[in-house]
Amino acid sequence: MNEKAILLVEDNPDDEALTLRALKRNKILNEIVVARDGAEALDYLFGTSVISGQDAPLNPEIVLLDLKLPKLDGHEVLKRIRADPRTKLLPVVILTSSTEDEDVVKAYGLGANSYVRKPVDFDQFSEAVRHLGLYWLVLNVPPRSKGR
Amino acid sequence: MNSYPVTLKQSYSSALQAYLADAQEAALMRAYELGRQATENGLGVLDIAAVHQEALTQVLRPSSPSQETLQTVQAASKFLAECIAPFEMTHRGFREANAALKQQATQLANLNKELDAFAYSVSHDLRAPLRAIDGFSQALLEDYLDKLDAQGVDYLNRVRNASQAMGRLIDGLLKLSRLTRAEMRRQPVDLSATAQAIAEALRKSQPERRVAFSIAGGVTANGDPVLLQVVLENLLSNAWKFTSRHATATIEFGATWQDGKQVCFVRDDGAGFEMAYAGKLFGAFQRLHGRNDFEGTGIGLATVRRIIDQHGGRVWAEGAVDRGAAFYFTLEP
Repeated sequence: MNEKAILLVEDNPDDEALTLRALKRNKILNEIVVARDGAEALDYLFGTSVISGQDAPLNPEIVLLDLKLPKLDGHEVLKRIRADPRTKLLPVVILTSSTEDEDVVKAYGLGANSYVRKPVDFDQFSEAVRHLGLYWLVLNVPPRSKGR
Repeated sequence: MNSYPVTLKQSYSSALQAYLADAQEAALMRAYELGRQATENGLGVLDIAAVHQEALTQVLRPSSPSQETLQTVQAASKFLAECIAPFEMTHRGFREANAALKQQATQLANLNKELDAFAYSVSHDLRAPLRAIDGFSQALLEDYLDKLDAQGVDYLNRVRNASQAMGRLIDGLLKLSRLTRAEMRRQPVDLSATAQAIAEALRKSQPERRVAFSIAGGVTANGDPVLLQVVLENLLSNAWKFTSRHATATIEFGATWQDGKQVCFVRDDGAGFEMAYAGKLFGAFQRLHGRNDFEGTGIGLATVRRIIDQHGGRVWAEGAVDRGAAFYFTLEP
């Protein structure tokens, strides 16, 4: 497959379905891998994975990361992503309910590339996802990772 | 009990002797310092009177005073102690009241913090199901439109509108709790310039409306610039909103002086309100107008009051149905 996957880290099944719907609606056709908690996300990224079914690290095109997650929260996942040389340049977009200054500042401090709040209105949400897809999957030039 | 009274007795006695021997300013300053230490250690004026009497007796001893002199000194001290007893009682009363107040303030601050933490988590946890309600209603409208009749579509649109309205309410609540958690910083603020900028923004938002702004120049206040901006935004956009049913309108900002205090006001000639409900205006989620008449969450004026409270000021309103409303506020106690 040419296009790399999108890793969606989301524990709420409703939000998962809505995000998938918004992606589909905006004709974003990349494979979408869903991790339902922080540990699953790291498993997928660092190759000890149940979801990926392989043991080599697998870099997605982008990570859409919720903050409030079971086991490891989003901030912790982000910290581990940035700490590992294999994933430290991976684009990570925080996609969350919170607009608390504290959460925003912390996420950027840990190296988030973008911070997007999930609106209640689905039309706005879909619009946000459309912009995300356009920017991160089309306009943005990602760093070339080694050995891919 | 600590050993401070013993130390005080010795220091007081030597300081008094030094002063009586040679009435120097430095010795007087020592007296002041001893008094300060005594209050800090929780001693009252009666304790000082007792220490004073003992020290005076000691001062007199080397000159072998007569029994009579000593008795006079003692009696005079007793007289003095009796006379200053009320001071002591008042002082003690103040101290106790102060301690009680401090405790209450701490309790209140803790409660407020808890409430804000509660509002924060409720707000976030409430948004997720709302997103689902709105999102899946939208999915039905989009994917199953051919299976729905007009009434079905109407119902789903109502579901969406209601969930979005609740989303806005939650956002308002979040904003309110965020405002009170932030620390307040007072500095001189040019209220006239702030009001002018808000008026410009309102005019741009609906250029077709014919509203005359009359903003007095040179109104300044000492307060938190961010919070005062929120106050004026709320009051001016309320005025903007509640004049929307009139073909032309005037919105005024200015200040007057009452009892030596600056009173700022925002006045409009719009829908107004019944004075009987004036007290209800500033409660959270209170609305005096039907939802169909004017949009709103009912959080704006609650926010205004909270900010004015934080500044130690007062806010009140005057109005009459269809003859406009005026909101007044002060920023000093």
